[in-house]
Amino acid sequence: MLDFIQMVVSGIAVGSTYALMGLAMVIIYKTSEVPNFAQGEMALASSFLAMMLLTTLKMSVVPAFCLAMGFAVLLGCFLEFAILRRAKEPNILGMIVITIGIEMMILGIVSWKFGAEQKTMPFPIGPYDSFMIRDIFLGQLEALILVSALVLMTVLFLFFRFSKLGLAMKATQQNGIAARIVGIRTNRILMMTWGISSAVGAVAGLLISPVMMHPYMMWDPMLKGFAAAVMGGMTSLPGAVFAAYLLGIIENLFGGYISIEFKSVVAFVIIVMILCFKPSGLFSKHYVKKV
Amino acid sequence: MKDALTVLFVILALFLGLAPDLTAEEGITDTEIHIGQWGPQTGPAAAWGAVARGTGDYFKWINENGGIHGRKIVYHMFDDGYNPAKTKAGVKELQEGTGIFAWVAGVGTSTGLAVKDYLMEKKVPWIGPSAGSMHWVSPPEKYLFAIYPLYFYEAKILVKYAVETLGKKKIAIAYLNDEYGKNGLEGMIEELKSHGLEPVAQVPVEAKDEDLKPHVMELKKSEADTVLLWTTVGHSVRIVGTAKAMGFAPQFMGSSTTSDFVFMNYISKGLWENVICSTFGPVTTSDHPLIVKFKAEIFDKYAPKEERYGQFYTAGITYAEPLIEGLKRTGRDLTREKFVAQMEGLKGFQSLGPEINFKPYDKNDIYCRQGTNTSFLIQALPNGETKILTDWIKME
Repeated sequence: MLDFIQMVVSGIAVGSTYALMGLAMVIIYKTSEVPNFAQGEMALASSFLAMMLLTTLKMSVVPAFCLAMGFAVLLGCFLEFAILRRAKEPNILGMIVITIGIEMMILGIVSWKFGAEQKTMPFPIGPYDSFMIRDIFLGQLEALILVSALVLMTVLFLFFRFSKLGLAMKATQQNGIAARIVGIRTNRILMMTWGISSAVGAVAGLLISPVMMHPYMMWDPMLKGFAAAVMGGMTSLPGAVFAAYLLGIIENLFGGYISIEFKSVVAFVIIVMILCFKPSGLFSKHYVKKV
Repeated sequence: MKDALTVLFVILALFLGLAPDLTAEEGITDTEIHIGQWGPQTGPAAAWGAVARGTGDYFKWINENGGIHGRKIVYHMFDDGYNPAKTKAGVKELQEGTGIFAWVAGVGTSTGLAVKDYLMEKKVPWIGPSAGSMHWVSPPEKYLFAIYPLYFYEAKILVKYAVETLGKKKIAIAYLNDEYGKNGLEGMIEELKSHGLEPVAQVPVEAKDEDLKPHVMELKKSEADTVLLWTTVGHSVRIVGTAKAMGFAPQFMGSSTTSDFVFMNYISKGLWENVICSTFGPVTTSDHPLIVKFKAEIFDKYAPKEERYGQFYTAGITYAEPLIEGLKRTGRDLTREKFVAQMEGLKGFQSLGPEINFKPYDKNDIYCRQGTNTSFLIQALPNGETKILTDWIKME
């Protein structure tokens, strides 16, 4: 029983990173119907910038993280404004290919600038410091990611539901032409969406950087976050978060009780199953056609 | 008739003047020797990328000091990202496009296995694969000379030390689920068997695994007093860290791939302390005369600012030294067959690495192509410093 509880706790802990990436992907998908495969690398760029501020300029953690978050917002806005908006006769497939291109570009720049050797970011909480409750442990850093994911989910949920900007984003997604007719500047809305999404992804990147940094560090969280977003229906913020935790728990239980060798492929088996049997996702009520 | 003769003369002149010298050895010109290497400069094994860079800087030093019998080394290194498909494509492209005389080092067992048959079929010498796989020498190949101590023996040496010197009885292993990891697993099982023991846990790790909590839980459940880590640098650090978070504190032991303690201390944020590793070269922070000399003459002069003088960098020199020695002994009249004959004659050759001995080709004797079977053990101290635990240990 103790093992089972530990696996569930560990699953929730690892699921928090997936949740943040899943949230970031859902935000862009909600407004543009484009799964952004550059999400991980956008977070990567902000994380390496924070690392540079901390080690080269010897800044302390809070200002370095704030600047990195600011950079993340600007990067998101810039990519939308300078690249995605320029696409002629854009269709979903074309936009997806563009995001993959952006991903490769950022990966190349980060590898060239910072090198490929593993690094670790200085941070007040040790990457392996943990809380022990009887024999159950939870990493302190993972607890911080868990809290961040839940807070961000709540804030974003309220933002999309109640704020003017959030409603404008929803309107842009549901009917861009109608949104423009009622005076919503849809281009600007899309740009802001990319900025917000980039910042949410950057939180994930910044909080896993104290463990280990290398140019490929965001691949796994991004793919798992995408799996969670698909599971959650691609448009539901709480759905993506809940699915991310479910995915983390399933992975850990699968590794613990069935096969440790195939633990990492469970997420992709889930994507395939969801797309085959419930393409609208577990938590989405509408837009069956989109997933 | 006159026109026909003119055309014939022109064709003959073109053939004699412009056609390549078909008798020349591939990868050799009057002034150049083309040597190739692959190495992960990106991807999960990028920490080992310094091997190929170390070799490159060593060749620059060789060239600056006169080259080899009037020829300069032209070094062709490419990033395969530790991906066997890329290794195969890159090696074929260079071999068939540029023409490589011999290959040196090359990080990884799976990556090396992807090109081993290709190189051997083409009779291209390959010196010092940067992995201690049994596949290089079992069975031996005429053109493949291994320098890296076998992982199989490294695991045996570590287990022997754990059982006989430290008095450990419950030994587990976390191994990368590829040839590298399985070689370590086999060596561990064989050595334990000779002591009447069995592994208490065998936990496979996939290259793409990032969350290793289930793996460490399994190790913890086994109540192991010693855990062998036959995984990548990143995985090893995550296992040691997660074990610490779980309050699980066995004696961790690692292969030579995790023996760069300065680096391991940095990326583990000090958690690597007390880990025991096998190794086969002097510690880069020591005052070993060759370590000091190569730092001053190679590293300080040729390495870029962001490079670090670590074990993986000097390993790149270690694998290339026997190649250079073989080329020097072959002389100006360089062919692959003559070079292989000279390599077979290397006896008691020692520079940075262990003593190297090869023999004439014998398909039943792995030691005709496995240059060494010695390693020694070191333990990590605080701040990445090193304590040498044993002298050279030879395993048969």
